[in-house]
Amino acid sequence: MTINFDNVYLNNTSVVAGPFLYDGPLKGNFDDEYKDFYDGEKTYEDCEIKELIKSINILIKKEKNKKIDLMISSDLNNQLIVSNFASKNFGIPYLGVYNACASICEELIIAGSLLYNKDIHNIICTTSGHNMTSERTYRNPTEYGASKPEYSTFTVSSGTSCLVSDIKSSIKIESGTIGKVFDLNIKDSNDMGSAMTPSAVLTLFEHLKDLNRKPNYYDLIISGDLGKYGEKMFKELYKEEYGIELNNYIDSAVHIYNNEDKRVLAGGSGPSCLPSYVYSKIIPDMKSKKLKKVLLLATGALLNTTSVNQKKTIPCVCHAVSMEVI
Amino acid sequence: MIFIYAFFFSGIVCLIGEILITHFKLKPGVVTSLFVSLGAFLDIFNIYDWFVSKCGAGAMVVITSFGHLIMHGAILETKKTGLLGLFSGMFSFTTAGITATIVFSFIFALFFKPKN
Repeated sequence: MTINFDNVYLNNTSVVAGPFLYDGPLKGNFDDEYKDFYDGEKTYEDCEIKELIKSINILIKKEKNKKIDLMISSDLNNQLIVSNFASKNFGIPYLGVYNACASICEELIIAGSLLYNKDIHNIICTTSGHNMTSERTYRNPTEYGASKPEYSTFTVSSGTSCLVSDIKSSIKIESGTIGKVFDLNIKDSNDMGSAMTPSAVLTLFEHLKDLNRKPNYYDLIISGDLGKYGEKMFKELYKEEYGIELNNYIDSAVHIYNNEDKRVLAGGSGPSCLPSYVYSKIIPDMKSKKLKKVLLLATGALLNTTSVNQKKTIPCVCHAVSMEVI
Repeated sequence: MIFIYAFFFSGIVCLIGEILITHFKLKPGVVTSLFVSLGAFLDIFNIYDWFVSKCGAGAMVVITSFGHLIMHGAILETKKTGLLGLFSGMFSFTTAGITATIVFSFIFALFFKPKN
């Protein structure tokens, strides 16, 4: 299902980058950084909350002339606890949403749809990730010391925020496609790349079909967190299914870390992987007109601790959002 | 020679563990339990004792040794006191290991935080 937007614009953004991210290939593009997984807090969760608050504060400071009407927030912790605790500091009406790593596109689509309401003008969309809290949520607590296979991804630690508004800016959010949940019967919670790839391929196809476009309409198609192996698989699968070779496609997970570092395994993941990359690399490129039309494909693995322990499969979803320079 | 055997025995156990995790996609907890069961199983005909005599610490430090010691304790106590020994003797050889783990974990957890 594809929705066209005509008065939705992406304004300022902010990224607070954590360990492995702040000194990676995007070094220097972030608004703030923290160098260890605690950042002076007592627990990993407290650290994640602190970074999300920091990122929202930076954004509000950048947009101090605007009245914020709503905040939509997402993270990977149980019952969105990080978003909930962060939002209580701001007194802004709050929506917590969850689509795992696909949350950013979900938020942008919700925000875009809400902006049709004449009473709403400025919406903050935030996502938050922390490597250690998500390891505990989805796999093993890091204290356990379990080794991870090389096809596994390394959750990006960062807090990201952006302002979506109906006040005109240079980047327009032009359309969004809400994806269908797809399940390929993969049960390994370390192998989310393989699980999510088919849903991303399907959403890309449906988006292009609905809008009657070809893949080369976009300067760049960028998927969320499929990882090194997922990126290859995406291209192969798209070619196999629809006979088109994608030359303008990358996966943000592969480009966000320094890939020579063996500790990051197959690349980044998490709800803040795609936004961290987009806000610190793609948006500046769009503002300098290097890129004009970009399609974001945020992929999410919709598993939970209980479902993994009960040996259930991993259903996946992917939402697309198209951005254009005007 | 015992050093070389020790190196190879531990190395082969780790190799099997690595294969089980990466190719058979087993969870680390499952692999650990498998090795404990394997160690217990190899106590039949004293096969594991033979490994210990050849490889020394190489066979005593790895997790399979835990299964072997559980089996050993249970059998020894059963011979002495009958069927009840199966329950009372099971952890008799491993108490030192288990208690040390609990005590040291407690002490270290008081002073240190996990990093990554």
